[in-house]
Amino acid sequence: MAHKDPYDGGENTPSWKSDFPFQAKKATHVGRREFAKFLALFSGALALTNGAIVIKSLTFPTKPLEGEHFICNESDVAVGSMLQFDIQGSKVIPYILIHLKANEWRAFEQKCTHLTCAVRFREDLQKIECPCHHGFFSPDTGEVLQGPPPRPLPQLEVVIKDGKVFVKENEQKNKV
Amino acid sequence: MSDFRTSQNEAHPNKTNSLMTGIIVLLILFVSIQIWFLFGALNNALQDNLYFALTTFIGSLLLAAASFWILRYLPDPLKNKK
Ligand code: FES
Repeated sequence: MAHKDPYDGGENTPSWKSDFPFQAKKATHVGRREFAKFLALFSGALALTNGAIVIKSLTFPTKPLEGEHFICNESDVAVGSMLQFDIQGSKVIPYILIHLKANEWRAFEQKCTHLTCAVRFREDLQKIECPCHHGFFSPDTGEVLQGPPPRPLPQLEVVIKDGKVFVKENEQKNKV
Repeated sequence: MSDFRTSQNEAHPNKTNSLMTGIIVLLILFVSIQIWFLFGALNNALQDNLYFALTTFIGSLLLAAASFWILRYLPDPLKNKK
């Protein structure tokens, strides 16, 4: 194999020459050396992303919900049904309020912990269902009963005062 | 003139190939472990698990350092025969 290009692969090939070859075939060719270097670069990028997660959780810790928020009157939600509401914080988070039985209320974040689909309470099953991939949560504790969600639904505490429904940060959960 | 390098190249003509393959396999292994770490960290950071995020970050950083360090052993491109 005789090479016509005197610089081809030689040790004194200037780098501009290998970066801008005049043969189109060589311009699109990715050698194993370049591939290995690219993998190393990718590895560095992954480490940086992992660092970004650390920085994010250091600088923006999720703030607990402050104070009590009025949602509705007790008579607005029948036993066995649910009400969707939002709470305006640094960002709007959708929640669901569930009237489990008489005087038994639960409030959960509506975003499924799998891929943030909206979950809903199924009275016939007595479970919280995520329709996207059939994840089921316990309406009592928010725990995962079945399906792909990796974590229980975040829960709020429900307080009833004079027939009015309020929610506040779940203190028991934060102690754990 | 024949020196040590030339005779070694003649004795093991596949040396570059095996080195290259070994390095690329190692790199892919490192990157896969890092992706696994990142996946775990993302899932756990949502739960405010700072400790897990930190541990995976350190691990990921070490692996990235190893990936760059291993590039030292990339064989040089083949030189033209003089
Ligand atoms: S998004 Fe809820 S199960 Fe996948």
